[in-house]
Amino acid sequence: MTAALAAWIDSSVRTWDLLRQTIVWILRGALRRRRRQVLQQLYEMGNRSVAFITVTLGILGMISVFQVLKQVEKIVPDFSMIGPAFIQMMIREFGPTIAGLMIATRVGSGIAAEIGSMVVTEQVDALRMCNADPVDYLVVPRFVACGIQSVMLSVYGVLVGVLAGAVTAYLFWNVPFETFFRLDLVQWGDIASGLLKAMCYGLAIPVISAQAGLETRGGSEGVGTSTTRAVVNASFAVVVLDLILSGFSYLVLF
Amino acid sequence: MIEFRNIHKRFGEKEVLRGVSLQVEKGQIQYIIGTSGAGKSVLAKHLVGLMRADSGQILLDGEDITDWNEQAFYKVRRRCATVFQHSTLFDSMTLAENVALPLRKHRGLSHQKALVRAMEYLKQVNMADHGHRFPADVGDGLRKRVAIARGLTMEPEYVVFDEPTTGIDPLAAANVDQLIRKLSDDFGVTSIVISHDLRSIFRVADRIAMLYKGRVWLDGTPDEFQETTDPVVRQFISGDAEGPMEFPGVRG
Repeated sequence: MTAALAAWIDSSVRTWDLLRQTIVWILRGALRRRRRQVLQQLYEMGNRSVAFITVTLGILGMISVFQVLKQVEKIVPDFSMIGPAFIQMMIREFGPTIAGLMIATRVGSGIAAEIGSMVVTEQVDALRMCNADPVDYLVVPRFVACGIQSVMLSVYGVLVGVLAGAVTAYLFWNVPFETFFRLDLVQWGDIASGLLKAMCYGLAIPVISAQAGLETRGGSEGVGTSTTRAVVNASFAVVVLDLILSGFSYLVLF
Repeated sequence: MIEFRNIHKRFGEKEVLRGVSLQVEKGQIQYIIGTSGAGKSVLAKHLVGLMRADSGQILLDGEDITDWNEQAFYKVRRRCATVFQHSTLFDSMTLAENVALPLRKHRGLSHQKALVRAMEYLKQVNMADHGHRFPADVGDGLRKRVAIARGLTMEPEYVVFDEPTTGIDPLAAANVDQLIRKLSDDFGVTSIVISHDLRSIFRVADRIAMLYKGRVWLDGTPDEFQETTDPVVRQFISGDAEGPMEFPGVRG
């Protein structure tokens, strides 16, 4: 138990150190040199996740609106505020967080598997032998691309979820679109909070996954282990960050 | 001269190196042999800072490099090239670009200049006609030669070859052996060769060290290895399945 705890602390310390190194490389201008890789990563990450996020947030939007309407029907049969409340909740919480969890599984596993197999085939060692730092070469482009893509996919996810919710409300309870699509409850604080969450998830996921990949030991079964670890740790980080950032936004941004 | 002093290294539960001491004289070809998992590659990676020892010292020409940081090790990596087991060419680059990479990173040459120089090195390993091809399009033997060419671009004083003849045909292997010999004889390069290809070992080695149970079991000339009466060494070089050797990972 103590050994497991020690290992966990050890690995967290190294993850923070990887984050520090990544930021140092970016400050030293790694971004300009890695422009092409960033674009390539943006394209790959977006492609990998967009269908996944469409389906998940679409279904989630449908189910939650259906469920809420069914309960509200029994209490106060007034559906006028359902749309605005749902939109606020999507922007502030569900859009970024569900998208974040999806990115953690889809993109996080990809990063860990890619870097992990480079470790076991000694490609990372070969980079270091060529005076090319793996953080600069491999982590920086993924870090930046995932940060951007997480924000974009969250915005997209909110749109899909809200649309699916509106269609459900219209089909099952005849809530007109004009009533559903009202932004009465949405304040700047909600949007800021949602975007902040999306960005933090997007920056945490690649660092955690890359760390898992870089620590791969052994052959191809090692790649499997670190991929699993990346997904578990990255999803866990999304949930914990959600708690911290929600608290922060309610206190600071309202 | 390279000197390992009492190197210990463990991975989790497994203690791979338990006090390895070894000296490699300048200009010599030192083979390191041993079963898979005996820690041959692990030992070699300590020299260029790709792995760090739990305890012990590594001296390069009398200088203690054990605790140097990553930045400082770049200097060491210029002087000690490493040819990896899997050749580790970058799939997204052509063979010539692979060879050019260290020229650009270590020497700061422009892309074009580096490519021209890269072709000269490819010629040295008889690969000049293949520079435009991608690693995935050529066989293992050719990839190995390109990896060696990439190692040579830095005109290193030391080269670590990690299983240079494993997985390639006997002719290509003889070719690689010849290249290793030539580097030592003509350019005074010191080589550390990790191998269990017995034919190469006795053809090229100046000295052989056998790793067993995390230590140097025997360190000597090829003749000493041929004549030794040590049962473990005898079993290894005759390739018997039966004998006193214990294999790591296989608990009997």
